[in-house]
Amino acid sequence: MFHTVLIANRGEIALRVARTCRELGLRVAAIYSTEDRDSAVVRFADQAVCVGPGPARHSYLYLPAIMEAARQTGADAVHPGYGFLSEQADFAEACEAAGLTFVGPPAGVIDQLGDKSTARAAMAGAGLPLLPGTIEPVADAEAVAKVAADIGYPVIVKAVAGGGGRGMQVVNDPDVLPRQYREIRCTAQSLFGDDRVYVERYLPAARHVEVQVLCDQHGNGLHLGQRDCSVQRRRQKIIEESPAPGLPPDVVEQMGSAAVRGLLAAGYVGAGTVEFLVDDQQRFYFMEVNCRIQVEHPVTELTHGIDLVREQLRIAAGERIAATQEELAARGCAIECRINAEDPARDFMPTPGTLTRLSFPGGPFVRVDTAAVAGGRISAAYDPLLAKIAVWAPDRPQAIARMRRALSELAVEGPGVSTNRDFLMTALDHPLFVAGTHDTSLVDRLTDSQPREER
Amino acid sequence: MTSLLEPAQSDRSAPLAEALDEVRRSAQSLLADLGDRPRALRIRAGDVVVEMEWTEQQRAAPAAVVAPAEAKPAEETPAGSDIRAPIVGTFYRAQEPGGTPFVSEGDQVQRGQQVGIVEAMKLMIPVEAEADGRIVAALAADGAPVEFGEPLFSIEPSAG
Repeated sequence: MFHTVLIANRGEIALRVARTCRELGLRVAAIYSTEDRDSAVVRFADQAVCVGPGPARHSYLYLPAIMEAARQTGADAVHPGYGFLSEQADFAEACEAAGLTFVGPPAGVIDQLGDKSTARAAMAGAGLPLLPGTIEPVADAEAVAKVAADIGYPVIVKAVAGGGGRGMQVVNDPDVLPRQYREIRCTAQSLFGDDRVYVERYLPAARHVEVQVLCDQHGNGLHLGQRDCSVQRRRQKIIEESPAPGLPPDVVEQMGSAAVRGLLAAGYVGAGTVEFLVDDQQRFYFMEVNCRIQVEHPVTELTHGIDLVREQLRIAAGERIAATQEELAARGCAIECRINAEDPARDFMPTPGTLTRLSFPGGPFVRVDTAAVAGGRISAAYDPLLAKIAVWAPDRPQAIARMRRALSELAVEGPGVSTNRDFLMTALDHPLFVAGTHDTSLVDRLTDSQPREER
Repeated sequence: MTSLLEPAQSDRSAPLAEALDEVRRSAQSLLADLGDRPRALRIRAGDVVVEMEWTEQQRAAPAAVVAPAEAKPAEETPAGSDIRAPIVGTFYRAQEPGGTPFVSEGDQVQRGQQVGIVEAMKLMIPVEAEADGRIVAALAADGAPVEFGEPLFSIEPSAG
């Protein structure tokens, strides 16, 4: 096992990783920007190094500074968390070159799976079902029109380098396709420095279901059930649950084994997630692979009784997965809500500011992952995630009731600060959510507006 | 945090903090009005008394710009009087090991003049003075690991 783990992240995930490191007896080295000088992980860590000013590109995304911090702290492993550098092959490579263990898949695998074009090719090769569309990036507006006509509208144009809900556009109308194709290429260029895009059929009423996979360095892999993440705003998840409600057992089994097969074929190591779309006929289609621990990992931990960060660290240290697929058993139902400092009434605009009052829920089977403290500040420099509240219960109706109770205990106040708490409550109350038959259009129904692609 | 305080303590500490704040604001506006620094200043508001004294050397320097009201950790020194590390890395005072330092205490430096190097990932990043002035103290040793924003030299800015 390692001696010192540098956590190359901030906020709740940095603290969450630090806690597992502490439990494993590992020394915790944190990094921080000048904005995060007084953050929870800085206080928690054995050592903390300031790596730059507030803007992430000069601190949390600034590779030379983070490599220096690793050197200064004597770290022998680096945990990237999610976001920031977690899925940058360059970072994994720099760690390998510096003799540090990167807690994640090898650089080459990140490269292959981070590029949606090569990822689709790899997964198609491993026999995973794909939506009709192109595997290779489409060359020009003429080609895109032809492909779209072949597969049928609506289509979605996606950046090969996209992710996190950015760099994609739904197109319903052949007339606007050339313009939107050009726009998305420009956006992709500015966001990701890569203007390649591909096209696939768009499923307006699909569910977003993903499979948590663990692979060790010895060719063993298993899956830890699914997470349904269909409640999304601006294509970012706000409610996640495990298991996915109402999926037939044979579909669950097929998705799980397909996900493991795909990642093992790609040479994956560590914790990874394979995202699928599931249509109203319960058919599933590969969407993308996330080469990192995910924001919503707690629901899997709660249903499986497994600390995924601990497994990540053990796998990175070369240990074998001890359990077999047959031995794993999920229990009950877990739901997570992301509490964001944002205003649903103003199109979910972030509302950063100082938290004058902050009180989190407690009680049985409630887990709160947060780095926020009363008197602290939600910085405008980073994403507005304030806390993740997760609950466990023996069944889904009890889990929903428990989440409603937990959300009602939450109190957040501060000048200019609002949260999506009430919006989450409304979503939990929606008959489609209660029935477990909702899809990714639920938030649009709630905001009582046209579906986003029509705008 | 504050939530751990007994209510009684909170009740006592709140007016105290307010009074201190008030004193600080008065001091700042007084000093700003005076222009030149006095040798000493004593302000009394109710139970709170604050006394300040300046050395001749400090008085020679122009009065520091009134600091923003935001509370900062105690170890922080005013940003205006330090040359700080532009990146986390290893600090060098000379171009090469054993070489003559770029600057020594007492040296006069000009804005943009190189005063050191921070090495990060084998990149040699020059550290430059941000204003004309005199090096008062070298705060980081040659070869020391430094963090972003860590003070490397304290500098007394030239008047005018």
